Amino acid sequence: MNRLQRSPALRLLCTLAALAALVVVLFPVYAVIVGSFESTQTLFSGTFYWLPHLPTLANYRTVIQAQSGNVLTSLIVGLGTAVLALVVAVPAAYALSKYRLRVTVVLVSSLLVCQIVPSIVLATSLFIVFHWVHLVNSYPGLIIADGTYAVPFSILVLRAFFFSLPNEVMQAARVDGASEWQTFRRIVVPLARSAVVTVAVFAFLNGWGDFIFALTVLSGSGIEPITLGIYTYLGNYSTDWGAVMASAAFAMVPAGVLLVVAQRYIATGLTAGSVKG
Amino acid sequence: MARVGTELHEAPGDLARSRGHGAAREVRHLTAWRRHQLAGWLFLTPAIAYILFAFVLPIIYNVMMSFEQTSPATIGSLTAPFAGLANYRFILGDPTSRAAIVHTFEFTAGSLFGQFVIGFALALLFTLRFPGRTIGRSLIIVPWLLPLIVTGVIFKFLFQVEGGAVNQLLMNVGLVHHAIDWLDDPHLALWTILIANIWLGVPFFTLLLYSALQDVPLEVKEAALMDGAGPWQRLRMVIVPIIMPVIEVTLLLGFVFTVKVFDLVVGLTGGGPANATQLITTWSYNLSFQQFSFGEGAALNNVLLVLALICAPLYLLLSRGSLRSSAGTGS
Repeated sequence: MNRLQRSPALRLLCTLAALAALVVVLFPVYAVIVGSFESTQTLFSGTFYWLPHLPTLANYRTVIQAQSGNVLTSLIVGLGTAVLALVVAVPAAYALSKYRLRVTVVLVSSLLVCQIVPSIVLATSLFIVFHWVHLVNSYPGLIIADGTYAVPFSILVLRAFFFSLPNEVMQAARVDGASEWQTFRRIVVPLARSAVVTVAVFAFLNGWGDFIFALTVLSGSGIEPITLGIYTYLGNYSTDWGAVMASAAFAMVPAGVLLVVAQRYIATGLTAGSVKG
Repeated sequence: MARVGTELHEAPGDLARSRGHGAAREVRHLTAWRRHQLAGWLFLTPAIAYILFAFVLPIIYNVMMSFEQTSPATIGSLTAPFAGLANYRFILGDPTSRAAIVHTFEFTAGSLFGQFVIGFALALLFTLRFPGRTIGRSLIIVPWLLPLIVTGVIFKFLFQVEGGAVNQLLMNVGLVHHAIDWLDDPHLALWTILIANIWLGVPFFTLLLYSALQDVPLEVKEAALMDGAGPWQRLRMVIVPIIMPVIEVTLLLGFVFTVKVFDLVVGLTGGGPANATQLITTWSYNLSFQQFSFGEGAALNNVLLVLALICAPLYLLLSRGSLRSSAGTGS
């Protein structure tokens, strides 16, 4: 591109700079993995070992016993959030991009504002409201609360995608006698598959990683996702670091899997959701 | 009344022309238009119901609660005795609430500064060609995908006084001689959560600014190069002005994300030591869910809501393109 780019020394320097940045970015993840295999004695020895020192599976044994149910809970919540986001967002995004409705500008503006509202504001009220409608300590309650991250984001991302879909596709279906619903269900949704996957991936990660709503609307009984499980390991005086690290490793698995499997969707979702707003 | 959109299978012109072709034709058009409207509204129904229940109701209820005298006994019922401005008076007089507001400003300003500077530098780095840039770019977003509470807990582990990786590194390199009490020193703890939050937010800035930099036309950069502009001049006079809209949106979203931060701080310090890292979010949680003063928590929530919503008009203005059509930003 320019003079700088031709010099091998400078290219090497760039690689080194990027490598340094990546080391800082990825080190905490590395530390969790190493830490999860350390023995309690090592973790409390007052020395940090950069490489595994006397590795053991004891932490994983503890955590699999104590947290398996919580991992399942988190899976249910993640999947539930993804389903909720899709059921609400796909038709809404379609209507907001392909139908001329008076409410469009108002609704899209309010979705942008919804993204700004801090979760603690919603959590405080939802706790009391959920008490009233018997949604406290329930999966539906937690999923509805977790949807507050995923739903506005999903509608806006899908809407941006639907704009790129030519109107002729729907017109052709209508000419063939398809109803509005059939057009949506048989033509539009299949064409939007990649955008739908992006949105579902993010909604799942939101539900899986949520902590604040689990902490508030579950009020500590019955259902406990993995994020809450990790938090309860943090004692006031002593923390079982081995268990914390092993459960943190579990909590990172979906992000790792999705980063490998759905890399393309993640990069699209992150940029589309933020700038297109 | 029938203003038919281009999305409908017949354009407005057709409708006007069809006026002359008899009433039957017109009725059919009106029915089609109505069907179109009805279908649109039906597609929107779940979303409208969801927004009303999960956003509008809680926000209104939060405002109501902030004027009520709540107690543990009133949690079961939807209303509590009217309290006037008592909860707001409490917030203004409460030293911890005031400290939490100040900390939120410091934390937000520091985070945005750090995230922007580092994020922009990395974005520029990744626009250059060097071996490993693709893999580097895809791995840089890792912090963003982890559950926030996990990040908080990991940093708590790394910032331990003894056996923490950070102290160990600093002492091995010889930068410090005594272990630093990152989390329990009230003068330091706010810096510690700031560092963790900068780490967390840099990928967001890097990714958005990188994608904006990719959209700067090559001809513009080449023209600046031909005119003899140095790298710094090209950046300041040519590239930054072009990507300014994205910089604005990124800073705005960064602000909104940062005033909301909760999980990270709860995991790292829980607001301590001695409330030194108490933010509006964590203190509001404490008031509502630990002291069961939901009215006071709600009043503090409203302070936060106003703070966050100050950005709303600006955000709507900056994303006005997406209100009407697909404002392309590339990626």
